[in-house]
Amino acid sequence: MDSTFAPTTRPEAINQLINSVERYNPDNTEVLEEYLTNQCQNDENDLAANLAILKLYQFNPHLLNMSALVKILVKALTKFYDADFNLCLYLLNESIAAEEPIVKLMELKQYLEEAQFGLFWSTLRQSDYADLTVEVNDFDSSIRRTIAHVISMAYQTIDRPLLEQYLDLQGADLVSLLDTLGWSSSSEQADGVVTIPLNEYNRVEPTVITENVQFAQLTKIIGHANTV
Amino acid sequence: MYKDPKAVGDAPVNETPYQNEEADDVQSNVDSEEYFDDNESQTIEIHIPDQIRNFLSNFQRHVRENNAYELHQIYESQFNRLTDRFYAKQSWPDPIYVGSILNDDGIFLTLYRELYYRHIYARLNPTVEDRFHSYENYCDLFNYILNSEGPVDLDLPNQWLWDIVDEFIYQFQAFCTYRNQYKRKHEAELYLLKENPQMWSCYSVLNVLYSLIQKSNITEQLLVAKNGGDLVAAAGDYGSRPTYKMLGYFSIIGLLRVHCLLGDYTMALKMMDNIEMNSKAIYTRVTACYVTTYYYVGFAYMMMRRYADAIRTFSHILVFVSRTKQYHSRAYHYQMLTKTSAKMYALLALCVSLCPTRLDENIHNHLREKYGEQQHKMHRGGEEALRTFEDLFLYACPKFITPSQFQATVFLSEARYQILIPTLRSYLKMYSAMGMEKLAAFLEIEDVQHLRHQMLLFKLRSRQKKWVEGTLLEGEYAPSSDLDFYLRQDMIHIAESKVGRRYADWFIRNINKLDDIMVNLQNSKAASPPRKMGEPGTYVYYLVLIPPGYAVLQ
Repeated sequence: MDSTFAPTTRPEAINQLINSVERYNPDNTEVLEEYLTNQCQNDENDLAANLAILKLYQFNPHLLNMSALVKILVKALTKFYDADFNLCLYLLNESIAAEEPIVKLMELKQYLEEAQFGLFWSTLRQSDYADLTVEVNDFDSSIRRTIAHVISMAYQTIDRPLLEQYLDLQGADLVSLLDTLGWSSSSEQADGVVTIPLNEYNRVEPTVITENVQFAQLTKIIGHANTV
Repeated sequence: MYKDPKAVGDAPVNETPYQNEEADDVQSNVDSEEYFDDNESQTIEIHIPDQIRNFLSNFQRHVRENNAYELHQIYESQFNRLTDRFYAKQSWPDPIYVGSILNDDGIFLTLYRELYYRHIYARLNPTVEDRFHSYENYCDLFNYILNSEGPVDLDLPNQWLWDIVDEFIYQFQAFCTYRNQYKRKHEAELYLLKENPQMWSCYSVLNVLYSLIQKSNITEQLLVAKNGGDLVAAAGDYGSRPTYKMLGYFSIIGLLRVHCLLGDYTMALKMMDNIEMNSKAIYTRVTACYVTTYYYVGFAYMMMRRYADAIRTFSHILVFVSRTKQYHSRAYHYQMLTKTSAKMYALLALCVSLCPTRLDENIHNHLREKYGEQQHKMHRGGEEALRTFEDLFLYACPKFITPSQFQATVFLSEARYQILIPTLRSYLKMYSAMGMEKLAAFLEIEDVQHLRHQMLLFKLRSRQKKWVEGTLLEGEYAPSSDLDFYLRQDMIHIAESKVGRRYADWFIRNINKLDDIMVNLQNSKAASPPRKMGEPGTYVYYLVLIPPGYAVLQ
């Protein structure tokens, strides 16, 4: 199942709009921007619909709405393990990308991509960065979910202080997140070790890929055997 | 899919429905001739050789009679031959003059103009006037095809239909580049461009391509071809004619390209939703179309960070090109093929650096021969690696409509993140477990925390979405690296997956080879006097069964 390009939460009207030539009609910009606002309020993410907005900006530069653009990029940040943010950037140009909010978001994106999660959180706590994300509800928690996913891909056990730094959570907040994730902590001590259940990514075994002969590969040989 | 009441099927092509209002005023009455010094009436006295005169009147007759076979000849050989002989360094006779001597202003003249301007673009330097006229001519051509009463009788060869769509997009892209070169232009030129924003606008180009798709019902036809159903009903009056069907199909590929040129890689791949990429696909009928399709699909995958899919796509078409190279003798096709495959090798070098992958042996050797040095530099890391990434990217990327430097910058940021990974990999390959501190010391990284980040980054980048089935945009996350690891706090546990020896493949290939030899032998036996068993030349072939490299295989 691939939900990236057609999330189940997408209304039918939007679906029809972005799958027809109506997606190029500048009159539809507002409809799509409204849908974007909905996504931000309800913790949903519809990349394909948001790319349609950027396409309209690309063709009609006078429609460019900086606050909507910021929302789109902030949404894309929450899926930093995928190429979403870049796919958005590719539809912009140098002069838009040089605007202050975009530069700041690109900086945050870089920290996430480089897995410098501690630096990401401390930068985000500065007010001029935090302001960029206020309109996206649950931004912090969805970023946290994604970071936790990345950690669970690599680690079987991790030092608690490091985890606190990566997730920017301490004490009871951290414990409650660990509970939701099903991760267990060796002790309530701050210097304990957190164990992450095995999953398909953090369970790694050396394998030998053996060849698999398809029947089709043998047809010629069988054909020859017939003629003898 | 593109059913839209406001869409263009019914409106003249150069009236674009979604242009913003300021532009609407000027575009309803496009007649750029007013803007130019009209000196065409003075050029009536043109010397036209008899051969050309005959060629033109034959051409006109075959268009009127809709003689597909003769039109094929005219397009594929005669026009090119005459061009080389008479018009290698100058344009073909002015269409206005040709129209007046042949007393024609219909579809023949439109087709002649298409060739006339294409020739100017290919061999000479088009003026702003040529660019405008060529655009208007395309509008005439597409209006004739889309907005005549009922489908028109015009059976052009597939190659020509592909070239029309291809050239239309090429001239669009060339115009966008030209428009952005402010410095070298005269005021009059700038004025013309400012006054005619509808000329080669994105909206009008998309409009044409979507209209052709809609008119031909190609989407419905492809769906029926895939899922079964009544093909004739799905095709309708227009789509059942080859010209419409092929134009519709080529427009899908055209949109794949236009979306890439605009930096919209998801839309580009989305265009291919109903086209199954296999050896029976329609794009294989015209080689140029086949190669173009794979170049842009591969490029879009690369930009989407789906390197494994990009590598698979480029490898497929490069194998095809290397196998069929000798059959593409016609000069301009050959040139296009060589150029595009050289670019694809460069893109392949980029992808393989970002995502080490085992390639087809021929492709691998060719790649090493051509870009071995660059691959080595990219592997070594540092600023030089980044410069190499950039050089290769700028050489091999399509000619963007959107600023290409920006596309390169975004792509290169990807390369920058991964710059340390090849070195990291080469150390990890030597161990099954090692501590973070030790690895940091090897890599001369002072801050262990930095290495922890790199390890997470490596882990992230060694998982990619890979196509398994369905549309091109679909895919499943799968490991893209043969080297994997997990962490227990600061201890790195490494595992490598290895490809086992491929015995069966080796034997199948050699049994087939032997069978072929036996068949040839038997055939030649039938043709020549019988030869006794035991004579040289007979049993020698049985020795092939013992693998010469058997020791190596073990």
